[in-house]
Amino acid sequence: MILSLLFFTFSFVFYAITALLYIGSWVFKKRWLGQAATAMAVIAAFSTGMILIFRATEAGHAPFSNLWESMMLFVWAVNVGYLIMEYKHKFRVMGAFVMTFEVLAMLSAFLLPYKFKSAEPLNPALQNKWHWMTDLLSRWGAQKYAIGWLDFHVVTTFIGYAGFAISFGISIMFLLKNRSEEGGRKSALMDAFPEARVLDELGYRTIAWGFPFLTTGIISGAVWANYAWGTYWSWDPKETWSLITWFIYAAYLHARVTKGWRGRKAAYLSIAGFLAVIFLYWGVSFVLPGLHAYA
Amino acid sequence: MTVEKDNRAWYRKAGGKAWYFFNSLKLTLFVLITLAIVSIFGTVVEQNLPIAKYHAQYGAKWTKIILMTGVNDMYHANWFVFLLALLTVNIIVCTFERFPPKWKSLLTHKPSRFDPRVIDKCAHHHTITLNENAASVRDRVTELLKKKKFNIEKYDAEGAYNIYAWRGTWGRLGSDVVHISLLLILLGAIVGSFAGYKDYATINVGDVADVPYNAFKVRLDKFWIEYYDTGQIRQYNSNLTVIENGKEVLKQQIWVNEPLYYKGVRFYQSSYGPSWNKVESADIALVKKKTGDAVRGPFTVKWGETVIVPKTPYSVKLVDYVADFAYDEKNKIIYSQSPEANNPAVGIEVYEKGKVVSTPWLFLKYPGVVPALPDKDNDLMVTGYRGVMYSGISLNKDPGTNIVWAGSVVMALGFIMAFFVFHRRVWVHIRETGSLTEVKIGGMINKNNLVLEEELKNIADRLSGNQTGPDKRSTGDRQ
Ligand code: HEM
Repeated sequence: MILSLLFFTFSFVFYAITALLYIGSWVFKKRWLGQAATAMAVIAAFSTGMILIFRATEAGHAPFSNLWESMMLFVWAVNVGYLIMEYKHKFRVMGAFVMTFEVLAMLSAFLLPYKFKSAEPLNPALQNKWHWMTDLLSRWGAQKYAIGWLDFHVVTTFIGYAGFAISFGISIMFLLKNRSEEGGRKSALMDAFPEARVLDELGYRTIAWGFPFLTTGIISGAVWANYAWGTYWSWDPKETWSLITWFIYAAYLHARVTKGWRGRKAAYLSIAGFLAVIFLYWGVSFVLPGLHAYA
Repeated sequence: MTVEKDNRAWYRKAGGKAWYFFNSLKLTLFVLITLAIVSIFGTVVEQNLPIAKYHAQYGAKWTKIILMTGVNDMYHANWFVFLLALLTVNIIVCTFERFPPKWKSLLTHKPSRFDPRVIDKCAHHHTITLNENAASVRDRVTELLKKKKFNIEKYDAEGAYNIYAWRGTWGRLGSDVVHISLLLILLGAIVGSFAGYKDYATINVGDVADVPYNAFKVRLDKFWIEYYDTGQIRQYNSNLTVIENGKEVLKQQIWVNEPLYYKGVRFYQSSYGPSWNKVESADIALVKKKTGDAVRGPFTVKWGETVIVPKTPYSVKLVDYVADFAYDEKNKIIYSQSPEANNPAVGIEVYEKGKVVSTPWLFLKYPGVVPALPDKDNDLMVTGYRGVMYSGISLNKDPGTNIVWAGSVVMALGFIMAFFVFHRRVWVHIRETGSLTEVKIGGMINKNNLVLEEELKNIADRLSGNQTGPDKRSTGDRQ
């Protein structure tokens, strides 16, 4: 537990610095601040990756079995997803929002009670490995590194969540920028934002990544449930909330091709979608009874 | 526009209206958002509880409302199924309406005559003037487009060269593939709910259980639990044997996450516990009737075995067990009130000279309440027993599952097409004006405008010799 928690502390500090640098580069419009922010974000991503790797070696299984571990995966995926987007589109302002969000996510992980943090052995239902992979790896005696539906399900779901988180930030930026564009007011802070049109497009692109991954997560969860429980769908609260979220983002995708629903209303749907994600992820575990109580 | 009189028969009119109603994306948004909102109720109100629990939790008035609206089993309530049906019809109508014309236009997208005016209508267009002859510009444009994996059609004309280029046409069909996959998944769910069944059986080690609707049976040969060093349960396992026509046809170990599959039926390890109607063995002692003092120390009798009680004419056979003894006066049956060993009792048969002389129950907690032997001095007493575990096996048959998985694979394919293949069309018009050449280039994309914007900017930059490298993004760093 020592090394993963040590890297957690490092990462927390790194994210705080990264967020400050991005905000600084947005407010003061200094290029070197932006470059430093990007460099720092890369370091933070690396450090978060180390948390996951050390936790995996400490626990003896892929680190997705409790809320704290999945938070680390989430934070890491948001960071990497953001960096890819920054590399492709060269807008740094988003970083101020995304990295602030990362700091909040790290803070909430830090505040989790101990029982959601400690490395635990897997209960019977969580033990699922792909036979073909176990067989393949056993040729080199490495079968304990085989993964299964649990790992696939969690990783795809969290890539989806990460896409939605980024899109959430972009949608807020879109609403701000849209208002300032429509009001025709000039503001130094808003001028640093990409045009509303571009933000709308980027918000869509991140959901275009999130939606298929969430769907893959839901379906792989169904495949796995079919192995573990004997039914692929049992309407337990986590499953139902994933479907609620999925409906909202499906509505978002169709809103964008509907006259009168583009832009602002679509952005609201994206925000509603992410609120549903937060409830799906945290709310269901703490508030509602069900089979997914572990994460 | 002239308003035509609608001469169609009433049912055609009604059909047309219904079609119009269902061919609407606004309806889709309405149904999707409604489904999202109402589904929340089903997660807040716990599903399928006994009615008394709702009373305790919500009070009489709310319980009535919950039962009336079906929120206690919401996802099977008529109105919820109706919403799903609405979505389904919506998808079918939309697909029928949009797919054929789309398909046609994709097949015939190449223009027979090139009209340069299209370019001005494009959202993204550039006009560049170059000091170079038209033919060489055309070759360079062709080269650039080819490098970007565009398909190319040339329309050479007098004094002008025209190029129509396209790519990612099949991405247009992605949304249709997704919609069809949704119908497949729904079909699989429907097939499963009509043609499938679920059951649950608790089997004691050594026992055989019938499989509903099937001629074969399963026997539990062994059940065991594995633990971590910390004492937490690692896994529980059962060895099952499938018996068909009196023959053992399949033996397999199952555990949570590893079902047995035979003839369309799956057997899942789903629970376990101490059995309430069987023990492995019991310890029985011969005691003095008056004092209860042991005459012969306890001896062990295995389930179904007959053992001679030492120094007596009797032998006993262990035949029955209940964990929580109870007697139903009306039906005259003995049963276990609960699976807990609150009042354990073993049932034995006592033999004398090969004949049954009594069939008493021996109570662990109440020794001697029922005399076990037809003997004035001695009696029998149970002093202990070793229980067996039962293994809880769920079994199900769901012929719809494979349709659901097929639908999921189709959906994945549809996602790739819909979200990552963009249909781009580019028109280029190259014309010599005096010693210079004017290039007009414009394009359309079905989604993700940023991609095309970049591509066209990149082509324009390269044509005008502004060779800043292939990775220079047109959007630029805006800081
Ligand atoms: C749960 C239900 C549905 C899901 C998951 C779904 C999924 C999708 C997806 C993934 C796309 C591609 C979106 C994009 O490229 O941005 C799409 C597009 C579309 N969907 Fe649906 N859909 C659903 C229901 C419907 C229904 C009921 C209609 C009927 C009106 C409909 C009409 C359309 C249309 C018109 C498009 C745009 C087509 C295009 O751009 O080529 N969808 N849908």
